[in-house]
Amino acid sequence: MPLDEVITPERTFDVELERDLLLENEKIALQNRELLRKKGIRAIDIMGSIGSGKTTLIEQLAKHLNRKYKIAVFNGDVTTTIDSDRVKKQGVEVVQINTGKECHLDAELIRRALQKINLDKIDLILVENVGNLICPAEFPLGCEKRVVVISVTEGPYMVVKHPFIFQSADVVVVNKKDLARAMKVSVKRLKEDVIRINPRAVAVATNCRKGEGISRVISALKL
Amino acid sequence: MHEYSIALQLVNNLLQEAEKHNANKVLEVHIVIGKLTFLGKEQIKFCYETLARGSILENSQLYIEERDGCIKCIACGYEGSLSYQDDPEYHLSLPAFSCPVCGSAVEIISGRECLIKKIKFLV
Repeated sequence: MPLDEVITPERTFDVELERDLLLENEKIALQNRELLRKKGIRAIDIMGSIGSGKTTLIEQLAKHLNRKYKIAVFNGDVTTTIDSDRVKKQGVEVVQINTGKECHLDAELIRRALQKINLDKIDLILVENVGNLICPAEFPLGCEKRVVVISVTEGPYMVVKHPFIFQSADVVVVNKKDLARAMKVSVKRLKEDVIRINPRAVAVATNCRKGEGISRVISALKL
Repeated sequence: MHEYSIALQLVNNLLQEAEKHNANKVLEVHIVIGKLTFLGKEQIKFCYETLARGSILENSQLYIEERDGCIKCIACGYEGSLSYQDDPEYHLSLPAFSCPVCGSAVEIISGRECLIKKIKFLV
């Protein structure tokens, strides 16, 4: 009989813990929030699935707001810098965050990105999360507001199939409204689904490419 | 999807605790996962076993208890479980993040946790 089986009964002991693994992220998120508050920086976490229009929304927000704010964009992506290159054209500072294999940004990645910019020269940070409607919901970053971007081309069930991410959203952008008829998707129904899941959220229909609805997104974010 | 990174954190925490207590082996690990997280029990188990291989965690038993979600209404103060609405149009059962009594917005007070509760060590 192996030795460890003989001694097992006498020499084991239990350690009771109450340690939350998800809370580790939340602790760092709170530190990020505190740092941003101290520096007077407003930060928006922009989430949404691949191709929903997150980058286009950010381009439009940068275009509309770059006289009022000194803007930095944190671009979360698995590998490429395509989005960063697009956003840079708006004349804003861009920090690329490649997550490698991870499916979401987390508070630690944001903490490190905040060290890469001069916080005294920035007063608005737009964070583009990794294209994904599931994981980012679980990892608050410390931003004051969360936006979820969906588009009518993703079909009519985007909201009801992913209730959790909408539960944590302050503003939900329903993009590509110009394609709704062709897609046979009701923008009104999508907005109703959002409010049913999260009565606190503001839902705004947009055509980000044309800049339609952007000013309503800006006022919903109180920017 | 992010079970791997959570499992990795779990393993790192366990190795730290083992070192602190001079343990040679971990026999059992008890964790609690809230039902309102996006963590799949089977995926966590799989990632854990993969990460445990070759360490003092190898062959340990991972016990996962699932905990129900609990919400609190901001308007009327209702506190309790969520209602799940069956949507005949979408053929889905949706967790309703609004108050089952008055329909207002709610806060989630439990069900989003991922706790390490107990570890059984061998010295």
